[in-house]
Amino acid sequence: MRGPMTGTGLVFHIQRFSIHDGPGIRTTVFLKGCVLECFWCHNPEGRHAYPEVRYFPERCIACGSCVSACPQSAHALKGGVHTFLRERCEGTGACVETCFAQALQTSGRLMTVAEVADEVDADREFYTSSGGGVTLSGGEPTLDSAFALAILQKCKERGLHTAIETCGECPWTSLESLLPATDLVMMDIKAMSGAIHRDATGRGNGRILANARRLALSDVPLVFRTPVVRGVNDSQEEIGLIASYIRELAALRQAAAGSRGLPREIRYELLRFHRLASDKYRSLGREYRADSIDPVPEGEMLGLLETARRAGIDARIPQ
Amino acid sequence: MSDDTAGRELTFTERIAMLRATKMRHTEEKWRVLGSMDMDDLPVILPPPESRKVVRIVSGSGLLMTDALFSGFTPKSNHPSGGIFGARACGENIRSLMELHPTYVDPVSSLAGAYIAHFISYRSPGWNPDFDYSHLQGEQEKYRLHHGIGAVQHFCQDMTIGFELGWGGILEKIRRFRDVNTDDEAQELYDGLEHMVLGFQNWIGRHGAAARTMAETEENAQRRRNLLEIAEINTRLVTDPPRTFREACQWMLWYQLAGKMYNMGGSLGRIDQFLYPFYRRDIGEGTLTDEEATFHLACHFVMDTSYTQLGGPDAAGRDTTNRLSFLMLEAAHMLKVPVNVGVSVGREVDPRLLSRSVEILFEDRTGIPKFLGVDRTSEGFARNGYPIALGRERAYSGCHWCAIPGREYTMNDCVKVNFAAVFDVALHEMMSGPGIVPGVEDLWSRFERHLRRSVEVVAESVDFHMDHMYRVFPELHLDLLCHGPIEKGRDASHGGVEFYNLCVDGAGLATVADSFAALEQRIGREGRLSWQELIRLIDGDWPGAGGEKARLMMKNIPRYGSGGSRADAYGLSIARAFTSIVRSRKTPHGFNMIPGIFSWAATIAMGKDVGATPNGRRAREPISHGPNPDPGFRRDAAPTALALAVASVQPGYGNTAPMQIEFDPGLSRSSEDMRKVADLIRTHFELGGTQINMNILDRKAVLEAHRDPATHPDLVVRVTGFSAYFASLSPEMRQVVVNRIIAED
Ligand code: SF4
Repeated sequence: MRGPMTGTGLVFHIQRFSIHDGPGIRTTVFLKGCVLECFWCHNPEGRHAYPEVRYFPERCIACGSCVSACPQSAHALKGGVHTFLRERCEGTGACVETCFAQALQTSGRLMTVAEVADEVDADREFYTSSGGGVTLSGGEPTLDSAFALAILQKCKERGLHTAIETCGECPWTSLESLLPATDLVMMDIKAMSGAIHRDATGRGNGRILANARRLALSDVPLVFRTPVVRGVNDSQEEIGLIASYIRELAALRQAAAGSRGLPREIRYELLRFHRLASDKYRSLGREYRADSIDPVPEGEMLGLLETARRAGIDARIPQ
Repeated sequence: MSDDTAGRELTFTERIAMLRATKMRHTEEKWRVLGSMDMDDLPVILPPPESRKVVRIVSGSGLLMTDALFSGFTPKSNHPSGGIFGARACGENIRSLMELHPTYVDPVSSLAGAYIAHFISYRSPGWNPDFDYSHLQGEQEKYRLHHGIGAVQHFCQDMTIGFELGWGGILEKIRRFRDVNTDDEAQELYDGLEHMVLGFQNWIGRHGAAARTMAETEENAQRRRNLLEIAEINTRLVTDPPRTFREACQWMLWYQLAGKMYNMGGSLGRIDQFLYPFYRRDIGEGTLTDEEATFHLACHFVMDTSYTQLGGPDAAGRDTTNRLSFLMLEAAHMLKVPVNVGVSVGREVDPRLLSRSVEILFEDRTGIPKFLGVDRTSEGFARNGYPIALGRERAYSGCHWCAIPGREYTMNDCVKVNFAAVFDVALHEMMSGPGIVPGVEDLWSRFERHLRRSVEVVAESVDFHMDHMYRVFPELHLDLLCHGPIEKGRDASHGGVEFYNLCVDGAGLATVADSFAALEQRIGREGRLSWQELIRLIDGDWPGAGGEKARLMMKNIPRYGSGGSRADAYGLSIARAFTSIVRSRKTPHGFNMIPGIFSWAATIAMGKDVGATPNGRRAREPISHGPNPDPGFRRDAAPTALALAVASVQPGYGNTAPMQIEFDPGLSRSSEDMRKVADLIRTHFELGGTQINMNILDRKAVLEAHRDPATHPDLVVRVTGFSAYFASLSPEMRQVVVNRIIAED
């Protein structure tokens, strides 16, 4: 959702002092809209590329302001209790303006490149002292690659380190267009087996793996990541396959580097899934299918890490 | 040293664990008898039940508290009011308390001594009614000022004076100068000081004897040896200065305990510097190991949680971190009791000291240590017209404050202007005047005018204090180790020391900044309510169904701390106005005043003084904390945004506006993450920040302990400048701590 002429894009969150999205102290900008539907996604409010109304009933004081504000009559107040009829909601956000209790909130705000860059710039001194910078995340930042590129370029102009977090499911040209302004790419590989990938995310992984290969052939520092989810990809076999693929990519990069000197790093990270997003799903009126999934025990995570390392790659579990 | 280990020597680590358990037992007994206490962990031990009397008193920091008196001591009043006033009477009484004080020797500790009563709690009335300040009281009341009249201690001695002279030398010095300064004021002061020293000598000497008696019947060889050493050391220390590291720790402990006993004093300052010569010599001679030195320090800190600075610049700006700085950290780490250790983080900071500090902070989750922006405070101090070397000498020695050891009288943390109360006066004045058209600009100019007047009232009040304090409750204890009081025959509060830089703190910055911004937005720009409606809502404390909606409307605006908001701009304007008013002139008697922004634990008491405010705060709720934004100031609760806001409102004259910050322990488990936290600390100071109180709060534990303190009796939190057992806090103060963490949801 972007007006190409206006240079705006849909941002659903800006997190300052973000310390797990790349080196140093960073600001992570979350762009709204994603093509995968990973059922464990911990940013469900970033999935759709349009603004959405979120409702937090525990904050509601039943003042009734939203009832009169909504042109679609999506709010009702009966016997002092407010109900949100989400199916009627068209996301105008008129109710949000009137809800001082902040029980209604919009996810997704149109921002200009300059607005985003200014917010990012606020923490400049912290990036300088810590070797940090800006990370574009989502959602999927390549979905609105022109907006993403404009932010990255503006940040680079201001001398900041730039990173993106991508699921990799995008035309190569979108990803490629960002590389000149990107200092680090963090990309998910959720599964090697197409069937598992399709089951878990709604799409196959052919394009993702191909994009991973192209990235390996570029010169950008790379971190591949696997969110390890119980019953999806927590097997030695699956992680072993991913790790082998990454080793292959590292070898490719090594060979391609040849005359250019030392190849830039390729790392692998295993992220432990945590069941943290239930409130978010509730606020969006969506079902959280991962609600009954337990995190993979730490011991097993270490076993998987061992497997990845045995494949001969630089792997770790961050935090 | 329990019986099951009677057969072998206990390790230092085992002994520290036992000392910690003993302290926990004493602390739990105090909770049972005295209830909650929203202040520093006072390491006082309760008097035995048969000689214990529970009373309500005003603490050394002006806070109402419950205390236990030792009924073995009956004070002698010298005034019809029943009070005890002046150097002679105070000296006589403290001497008698020390002489009657039961001995305390724990065979596990390497140091003797504990104290069981606060002399200040026997002094009622605290102020001599002959010195009437009713002419000031009207306005003090009007602005709800913490005016400082009668405030005690809150400056720092120079411990090296005691280390050089010992009690014998100090006594001799007093007697020598008694013949030089023969005026009445000096003679009375010398009487008081002499009584105090004689009290010290009796108290210490009896511990030597007690330890020797205990040794006679002690069967455990390690304990017997320890007791005999204690006996020997304390027999010497009655007159002689300390020779070894252990003796220096013992000397320092006596001094500190007496300070607590006399007027709840407790500044330590740069302990890693003044103990270092003893440490180096003993290590050189092979009579001390690092492990043993850490143990002696732990034995001190378990009995005295006073404020200390580690590292920091010397006069030339070079970092002074030494081996002892690290051992101090380790002692606090092993003890895990509320020790108030501040780590200096200047340009030259030893990166290992900083990284070890952050590590301990995350591992222990006790809010220990805290961090000091020593470059900023020394540069700021120089802006008062002093050489920067003097600023560097200023030692961290209290909640949020520094003082030049032995040379500066400060009244730090004792004088507070409650911005919210001043704002309230301005708002009601505007709304009650006939024919006034209310507006935000008009309100601002009234606020500024009342702010100026409240600072003037403070200035007149501290002058009054300085005129009379020496005849009310002189600083006998600190005078002993200051440069000047003995030499001149003048109490430190009455010209005894070289420098007078009186602290004037503002409090409630965010409350008022957000109030201005809310009025400007909701009444001014959006026209959602009228001034008349607003005042009705405020005076009625947001009454009725519409009240809550209006309250939330006023509350949920871009707040101070969010960055670039109108409230941020107001925060800055308030800080600047306050700073320039305080700096614009000296007190009528010519004392320099230094502005800071800090509310201490008084954030609760000050809140009780003020009705509802336009930022959506309910009547009598706590005001905002120091220069901090209110919890919930940003949805991402970004520590960088907090650090920028707090750095932007620094008054900048050497006194602090500390940043209070809480982290979830889940934030950081790797050394890489801890480095980022260290980077945050350094950057805040580079941006102008002066002090950081950082908590790593385990939210589950805190929430459980809030429901039932007994579930986590040893949970330690950094409440504000001080750290304390969470369970010892009042339910209201616990709520303040809890709000800080739940607002981050
Ligand atoms: S406006 Fe907000 S608080 Fe009021 S009824 Fe609607 S959801 Fe509830």
